Amino acid sequence: MKHLPLIALIIIGIAGCNSPKKEKSLPIMGRTEYTLSDTIYHQVKDFSFVNQDSAIVTGKTFEGKIYVTDFFFTTCPTICPIMKTQMLRVYENIKDYDDVAILSHTIDPEYDTVALLKDFSERLGVSTPKWHFVTGDKLKIYEQAQRSYMVTAAEDKSAPGGAIHSGAFILVDKDKHIRGFYDGTVATEVDELMRDIDVLRKEYADK
Amino acid sequence: MRISNYLLLALVISLSSCSNNSKNEVKLKQYMVKGQMLYNIHCSNCHGIKGQGLGRVYPPLNPSDYVQNNFSDVLCVMRSGLTGEVIVNGVSYNQMMPALEHLTDLEVAEIATYIYNSWSDKKGLIGVNEVIENSENCPPPTTH
Repeated sequence: MKHLPLIALIIIGIAGCNSPKKEKSLPIMGRTEYTLSDTIYHQVKDFSFVNQDSAIVTGKTFEGKIYVTDFFFTTCPTICPIMKTQMLRVYENIKDYDDVAILSHTIDPEYDTVALLKDFSERLGVSTPKWHFVTGDKLKIYEQAQRSYMVTAAEDKSAPGGAIHSGAFILVDKDKHIRGFYDGTVATEVDELMRDIDVLRKEYADK
Repeated sequence: MRISNYLLLALVISLSSCSNNSKNEVKLKQYMVKGQMLYNIHCSNCHGIKGQGLGRVYPPLNPSDYVQNNFSDVLCVMRSGLTGEVIVNGVSYNQMMPALEHLTDLEVAEIATYIYNSWSDKKGLIGVNEVIENSENCPPPTTH
């Protein structure tokens, strides 16, 4: 019986190990403004582009949805093919979730017409309501990238393919807040994105 | 005396062929290593690390009836690029492939050696001279 304290200590120790881990919560990114009574988080500005089915896509299209967004162009010889390979993994993962979608912007709208994006999406084997490929006014697209999603997208004649852009995948919640940036060319970062989508979904489910 | 002469001759021939073989083997290995490095930089983004391609956007190289049956074209395409439709394994692909004009003859030979020895084919070494001779038939580079 004199070992009782020791045994108790071991049990407590083991129990300590098994105590539930603090659940991951995602930060709200971007510039946050504080007023006397309120905190104003950065929000994605409303937009209006055209998708591969010639349908207008706006902020409203993603109402009540978590979405992942990126910037690319179909003839980009460098990072885009890897980004699309990785985004296809995300697509396969969220295919059956009603509340998650993908929005890919072309940054070469002169070449990437609606018809071309339609062909591209079909060749990838993906369907519209889940994964929108949008085109539109080039400057509006660049502005949306920089102002709303805080990533680079610009013309650069010296770059392969004629444009430079970030390889980031951006996670946006149902309230248009940015909740994460992930390198769309790195498989492990995309794994993290897919885990974070589940974290976000749970956050809404618990509300 | 005559027999020993023959033996000596046989020995010399076998030795020289032996060293020739191993020299080629070393060269093949060098080409494979450099070829893989170059493939991963210039080709794998679209065609995949294992040559698997992507959907109906980028055609596979492994396995690929096009690669197997169009050796001369494949050597050209690396530097000249490709536009228009190609049928690979019965599937239509139509994505512009950019021209990699800066690739040297040696680099094309190394990449070709890698492509034609890593997967379904075992073509052996593809030499620089083969690439140079072939390049006379190549079309001008594509532009975007």
